[in-house]
Amino acid sequence: MEARRELQFESPSFSKRLKGMLGVDFYRLFHTPMFYIFLAIAAIIPAMVSAMTMLPDQNGNTMEPLYSNVWQIIAASEPLYVINSIADYANMNMVFIFGGIMVSIFIGHDYKSGYVKQLFTTHAKKQDYMMSKSIVCAFAMACMCLTYLIGGTVGGILAGYSLEVNVSSLVFAILGKMVMSLGWASLYTFLNIIFRRYFGVSIASSFFFGTGILIIGIAAIVENLTFPTFFLNIFLYGSSVNACLVSNIGTLLICIVVSGVWTVIYNVLGTRILVKSDVY
Amino acid sequence: MNAVEIRNLSKNFGAKQAVCGLEMTVPMGAIYGFIGENGSGKSTTEKMICGLIPTSGGTIKLYGKDYKDEAVRAKVGVLIEAPGCFPGLSVWENMMLQATNLGIEEAEKEVVRVLKRVRMEGAAGNKFKNCSLGMKQRVGIAMALLGDPTLLVLDEPLNGLDADGMRIMREVLRDIVKDGTRSVVVSSHLLGELQKVATHYGIIRHGKMIREMTAEELDTSCRTYVAMQNADMSRSKMLLGCKFSRVEEDEAGYLRVYDETTPEEIVTYLYENGICVTEIKTDKIGLEEYYIDLMKEGK
Repeated sequence: MEARRELQFESPSFSKRLKGMLGVDFYRLFHTPMFYIFLAIAAIIPAMVSAMTMLPDQNGNTMEPLYSNVWQIIAASEPLYVINSIADYANMNMVFIFGGIMVSIFIGHDYKSGYVKQLFTTHAKKQDYMMSKSIVCAFAMACMCLTYLIGGTVGGILAGYSLEVNVSSLVFAILGKMVMSLGWASLYTFLNIIFRRYFGVSIASSFFFGTGILIIGIAAIVENLTFPTFFLNIFLYGSSVNACLVSNIGTLLICIVVSGVWTVIYNVLGTRILVKSDVY
Repeated sequence: MNAVEIRNLSKNFGAKQAVCGLEMTVPMGAIYGFIGENGSGKSTTEKMICGLIPTSGGTIKLYGKDYKDEAVRAKVGVLIEAPGCFPGLSVWENMMLQATNLGIEEAEKEVVRVLKRVRMEGAAGNKFKNCSLGMKQRVGIAMALLGDPTLLVLDEPLNGLDADGMRIMREVLRDIVKDGTRSVVVSSHLLGELQKVATHYGIIRHGKMIREMTAEELDTSCRTYVAMQNADMSRSKMLLGCKFSRVEEDEAGYLRVYDETTPEEIVTYLYENGICVTEIKTDKIGLEEYYIDLMKEGK
């Protein structure tokens, strides 16, 4: 037997742990086709919505234009919590629906491949996992917002919509929605932790919450009761809708706070669930 | 200080108690063969040691520290069931990802080292999904070796390995513990293979440790027997059965007498009854038979 060596156990710092996990997640994001497919989907969908309005119907008449302005494809003209037409709904907020599906696939692969099992046998902490997934998926959704912007702009121009806009409001709206990506990514990570053993349920739940149907329903009730609807901004969907073409710095600040608070809430809850449950 | 020290460990899955009051001690420098029937609680115990499932009660200490301590966790290498690799990525990429997770400096050098150790350097570029079962198992072992772990926990690592793979595995395990500080906990149903490397054993049944011993203690505990062959085995069996309490025919066609006796006594006895013994030897039962006997005792 060789001479006994001195045993040394060093605690890896939080930054070292998170850096390692982020490195892995970003590598996976960039080296799998899924990310690029979703970027393409985010660009194609708004272009298609715009192009649809140019197509003639069976009588040879073109449809009533959905939008009057290119930038309405990116964000609604005003905070429309209750939708009356597809145009009120079809804007950059749709990215959060595709994003939810992407997060479900991303996290689903972690569990299906056994990577999570491999990960949690090391020094990795459950909170690091939540944070890393939230950050990487938020980045992916923010990138999808940008490709949506490109697709929507090109589609809108081709459809012949007006380009007139208050530039600062447009910038605040886009930045607001990109900031909201973090909150949405945390929500989807949390949902996928809860339903980690049921991939189909994970996707369905992400889709359900991504559509914002709960908030739309609440908004309809609130409007009928003639209550003010601004309190809906405390929710992810509410704040995402609030980032519209009349946005200002205040709107962006609300997005930052709401996204940040929900990120913390979902990360804490997700970590608690992971700590208390078995890893399969 | 022991590498692993488990006291009064329990784990419940709803109403089902998978592990109850388990005591386990793995000394430093040991290759600890962890044996038990399917569903006896082996994998559950290993998963608790690895931090994959929370305990319902009891304590687990690794090198004197709580098993959740991140400093000690950073030095635990694990292969539970199958390696956690992304099928669409190459062996190299999967290894590099794990090295990144572990925060290993000079990750590429380390990955080359462990892949060489399991003779997988030539297959580093293969996609993981295209690897055979044995190759995947080797990748899993290589992954567990990343970062020079102090404790290695391997659940059925011999599954799917060919003869060369098993030999490599034995070399790797012996190499790891040779400095006397690092330890290995390895579970396998291939008891013959396990006996070639294990220095300590723990036998678990219905979630309880029923025996812990060193390889030397096992050797002492294993009964000796006299095995013989001749032209009339059925009559020999009948005659020996009249004189001795336990006579059994083994898989190789030998008659085994487990009672305290000598080859001379058996040869003389059979000769007096008109049977000429053609081959006779004394031997000891192996781990497998010892284990089967122990399980029978329990039943």
